[in-house]
Amino acid sequence: MTPPSTDSRAEAELHELSHDHLSNYKHADHDAPTFDTGTTIVALAAADGVVMAADQRASLGGRFTTNKNAEKISRVHPTAALAISGSVGPAQNLVRSLRAETSLYESRRDERMSMRALSQTAGHLVRGLPVAPILAGIDDEGGHVYELDGGGSVMATDYAAGGSGMQVAYGVLERRFDAEADREEATDAAVAAVEAASERDTASGNGVTVATITGQGVEIGGIDDGRDGSAASAGGEVA
Amino acid sequence: MQSNDQRAYDRGVTVFSPDGRLYQVEYAREAVKRGSPAVGVATDDAVVFAAYARPRSPLMETDSIEKVHDVDGHLGVATAGHVADARRLVDFGRQFAQRERLRYGEAPGVEPLAKAVADRIQESTQTGGTRPFGAALLVGGTDDASADTSADGEPRVYEIDPSGTPTEWRATAVGRGSDAIRDRLETEYSAGLDTGAGVSLALTALDTATDEVPTAGEIDVAVLDRSGFDAFDRDRRASALADAGLGEAS
Repeated sequence: MTPPSTDSRAEAELHELSHDHLSNYKHADHDAPTFDTGTTIVALAAADGVVMAADQRASLGGRFTTNKNAEKISRVHPTAALAISGSVGPAQNLVRSLRAETSLYESRRDERMSMRALSQTAGHLVRGLPVAPILAGIDDEGGHVYELDGGGSVMATDYAAGGSGMQVAYGVLERRFDAEADREEATDAAVAAVEAASERDTASGNGVTVATITGQGVEIGGIDDGRDGSAASAGGEVA
Repeated sequence: MQSNDQRAYDRGVTVFSPDGRLYQVEYAREAVKRGSPAVGVATDDAVVFAAYARPRSPLMETDSIEKVHDVDGHLGVATAGHVADARRLVDFGRQFAQRERLRYGEAPGVEPLAKAVADRIQESTQTGGTRPFGAALLVGGTDDASADTSADGEPRVYEIDPSGTPTEWRATAVGRGSDAIRDRLETEYSAGLDTGAGVSLALTALDTATDEVPTAGEIDVAVLDRSGFDAFDRDRRASALADAGLGEAS
């Protein structure tokens, strides 16, 4: 995935926390390989929540598996999570910045960010980064799924797939998505999509992480397919 | 003229008087003494903040008077003095708390936050063209020692005055009548208080600085324990007052 040549600095100023030099990411223009998620990520809105699933492989250009336990889904808001695809470093930075923004918003305004505000904030932060994440969450208006990309686009949808395995995953989702389905059925569809992509996409695999988002919060857990020989980890930390 | 010479030393904040005083900083302390009081008490497992926020008119929405502020869900700040100045410092603290997370992946403890805010205040006493902040702050919280934090899980309260000096207390007060409140706290504070007793102590101490017994609409109360910042709603404030023996329940 080649990074858009957008200058992220002017946009970064929309976010006061980005004044901190640590979050002023500038894409490296050297030829050294960077860790890439390769990735299959999916998110589906269900009748009683939103579910997400991701594979657990990080690779160098999709040709060599560098990590078999990559946590690609992270909580970024009390009732929202981000699934990452693209370069791992910028994606991890994005997750941390988004957490800071949602927490600051809640302290200042004594209420949580709406999904509209969260998706717009994420759109500003993602611009210029070589990543294409999916954001999913719940607010007073119900469940929401957004596709984001490094150009800063924010597109609302009911279900989405991302990463190098997205074509295979969409093949499953087109057949399995049902807006009336409950969380359990939606989770089965999401896992089936990631598992199908893991079979055919060389940059995806090593087990499935599942996230379930309800009004009560975000639950992230692993489904271990037994192939990588280590226990699936659960938790909110990225990669 | 003697009086003119004297006055010259209070023009610029950065100018010492011949006897080593910074008059503008002392005037800022006076401004704090005119502000409605705030009390902080560290108990065994929580910090309790209580503040007096009496509306100037019955038409005023009492919830819009801000005395106790959530910083990041775990740490809190109670203020006395110029509200506008205090708000700037509270927001500085909020941004600091998030920057710490971005930088270290850890939530800051009470001491780092208090010292960062204190340094910001000190800067205003040594920079040309500024005036000191006319507000004093109580910074407090209890950090979960098992969580990602740089603190040790102890409830701690810091007071920061307009000179930018941070001092740690078991219990203290800022604002109008703070000397009387502190006297009361000195007599009645004991180690090993539970949270409920801490709330009662904070409220009875606050009561010493007010002419009339405060009502639920005139106070702000928050408890900061390991699970985070918890501001009391009106019903809980009313029952806290009743528990402290200060007037009617709801």
